[in-house]
Amino acid sequence: MVSRRDFFKITGTVAGTAALTAVGAEASAPHPKLDPDRFGVLTDTTLCIGCRRCEWACAEQNDLPHGDLESFGDTSVFDLMRRPDAESYTVVNRYSPPAGTDQPLDVKVQCLHCEHPACVSACIVGALVKSPQGPVIYDAWKCIGCRYCMIACPFQIPAYEYADPLTPRIMKCTMCSERTLAEGRPPACVEMCPPEALVFGRRSELLELAHRRIMENPDRYHPEVIGEHIAGGTSWLMITDRPAAEIDIPELSNESPAVITETIQHGIFKGFTGPLMLFGILGILMKSSSDKRKEKEDENG
Amino acid sequence: MRNSSIFRLLFIGLFLIAAPNWTLGQIVDPLHPKDPRHAPAMEKVTTCASCHKCDHPTQDDPCMIHCPRHGSHFYGQHEADEGPEIVIIDQLADLYRPVVFAHRLHADMSNMTGGCENCHHYSEQSGVIPPCRECHDAAKGPVSLNQPALKGAYHRQCMNCHRDWSHESACGFCHEQVHEGIGAAVADTTDIVGIPHPIIEAVPTYTYETSYEKGALVTFHHNDHVDMFGLNCVDCHRGDSCSRCHDTGKSQVQRLNHLTTCCACHGERNCAFCHTTDPKPMFEHTHTAGWALDPHHTDVACNTCHGSPQDFRTPSDKCTSCHIHWEDGAFDHKVTGLVLSEDHLDLDCSDCHLEMDFGTRPSCEDCHDEPMLPDKLPGTRL
Ligand code: SF4
Ligand code: SF4
Ligand code: SF4
Repeated sequence: MVSRRDFFKITGTVAGTAALTAVGAEASAPHPKLDPDRFGVLTDTTLCIGCRRCEWACAEQNDLPHGDLESFGDTSVFDLMRRPDAESYTVVNRYSPPAGTDQPLDVKVQCLHCEHPACVSACIVGALVKSPQGPVIYDAWKCIGCRYCMIACPFQIPAYEYADPLTPRIMKCTMCSERTLAEGRPPACVEMCPPEALVFGRRSELLELAHRRIMENPDRYHPEVIGEHIAGGTSWLMITDRPAAEIDIPELSNESPAVITETIQHGIFKGFTGPLMLFGILGILMKSSSDKRKEKEDENG
Repeated sequence: MRNSSIFRLLFIGLFLIAAPNWTLGQIVDPLHPKDPRHAPAMEKVTTCASCHKCDHPTQDDPCMIHCPRHGSHFYGQHEADEGPEIVIIDQLADLYRPVVFAHRLHADMSNMTGGCENCHHYSEQSGVIPPCRECHDAAKGPVSLNQPALKGAYHRQCMNCHRDWSHESACGFCHEQVHEGIGAAVADTTDIVGIPHPIIEAVPTYTYETSYEKGALVTFHHNDHVDMFGLNCVDCHRGDSCSRCHDTGKSQVQRLNHLTTCCACHGERNCAFCHTTDPKPMFEHTHTAGWALDPHHTDVACNTCHGSPQDFRTPSDKCTSCHIHWEDGAFDHKVTGLVLSEDHLDLDCSDCHLEMDFGTRPSCEDCHDEPMLPDKLPGTRL
């Protein structure tokens, strides 16, 4: 029989262990080892012509609902700023022309495939995984629909199939992992892009290419490769003619937000401490109450 | 001996056996991928230094030397009618009907804005212009990250102007989509072949109304610049896209970037030089320089005295700054249209033209008491 005093002693120890584990998680946020030759994509927004062919190619590749190729020639969608949603992994938005010219700036938006993704660390069942080769991949089979990833992503990328009552999934760009990882082929959007505003390759080489373009055309580019450092770095890089904030990239530190999500999630769930603790406490409570009942029965009996 | 040491020795051994068999001409290891465009060059490669700047190139820092083939060079003078009249682009025959590119029409227009170089950024030293696809790969993706494939090269080239012109990226402008019933094979060229760009007739004088308070009008005499000053179209229109003329959505002022165009030559003038309250008259030498070209200088080309338009200079208005041999007393006053009378023949030039200033009317008062000019002349008019 566990006395009331003993009960507090046990729960205290369990809670203490959990707290210690949380501190440990913070000190060594576990990042998957990334392949130095991992893939990435570079978007050069100054080359993008806003033809929305990437949107079509993506929908086609990923079996997303979409109209025919011609319907993507509709530029009225640029009247509003759009975000990727459950039916489109990528969208192109239009921004006003740089001073002195009248060619607008078109910016393709999709998952940036963070190097240390907050969505991955927020996912408690491992349905989102950062492949060492670059893409951040989703496994609908494991997903429990908690949508923590949607809250965690600093770029508001993951969308949820709210309209699907039976098997709703998290929807986001996969960097066409079935093409890129399995076959080494460029993603559908990259292959489609007419002016080759999108380039697929090794992230390290793309980074070099981006810096070279900026160096060779200082008037054309804002001197920053978006994704080189932001949020701990991303596999999808961008260069553009204006500061990142002006194309609605949130101002983030160079520290991966995953560190914070991980600290919380791992603190609670690392080594199953949390659930164990919960079940432990419940177990003890049940035992002690059943003991008490027994005592009572004994007394009464 | 520990396992790891055995492996290390084995590895070094294998390396030594393999290494002497490498010849640079047939490098096929993953670091030197076989790029067909580099094949001819690779045949000639004898040492690492043929391609690498540093002694120890690594994958991270290959320190490649700059390949002349990849730079922008354009040699030779070319005429619009040298090239083909049309170019049929049919790489995507499964998706679109072939694009008929009106090469001659574009070349005609380019004459005004910079010539062939506008699009052809590269030619051989001999002046031969290779077709785009010789360097830009027709395969779907770029072979090298540094160079767009054919698709990218074409689209960047075309869209660069067409987007500016039509304000949209309408694919259908060039690409007619293949539909059921419409075959991909035949391209209609009837509206292109044999139809040159119409001769561009400039308006002689443009008057712009501006918001500049002190002088709202800017008068631009186009024919002065072309006919009198002898400027070529490219001197002002270099790099202009077709939208300069074809974009009807823009006002004239918007279309003209006066800061770069006008100020290239008139940069040292103040605003009032162009911005006036009344329309500016056409160029008149007397008005601008203070002395008339008529009658002795009408046939002198501007650049004889002023240099090229790009390198404009204003010589001194002293006659002797050009007519240097007049200094030594060998001047026959007759050339001015006035034959001096005998009593004036022996005078020094500066006796009448004070301080040798031939721009202002000579003074007679130093010698004569009553006023002479213009009623009484020091000789006879021819
Ligand atoms: S952008 Fe968002 S969804 Fe994409 S990897 Fe980063 S955190 Fe995840
Ligand atoms: S990489 Fe693939 S999934 Fe991602 S936007 Fe491009 S086509 Fe869509
Ligand atoms: S396909 Fe390329 S050019 Fe067209 S909108 Fe997408 S990124 Fe821009």
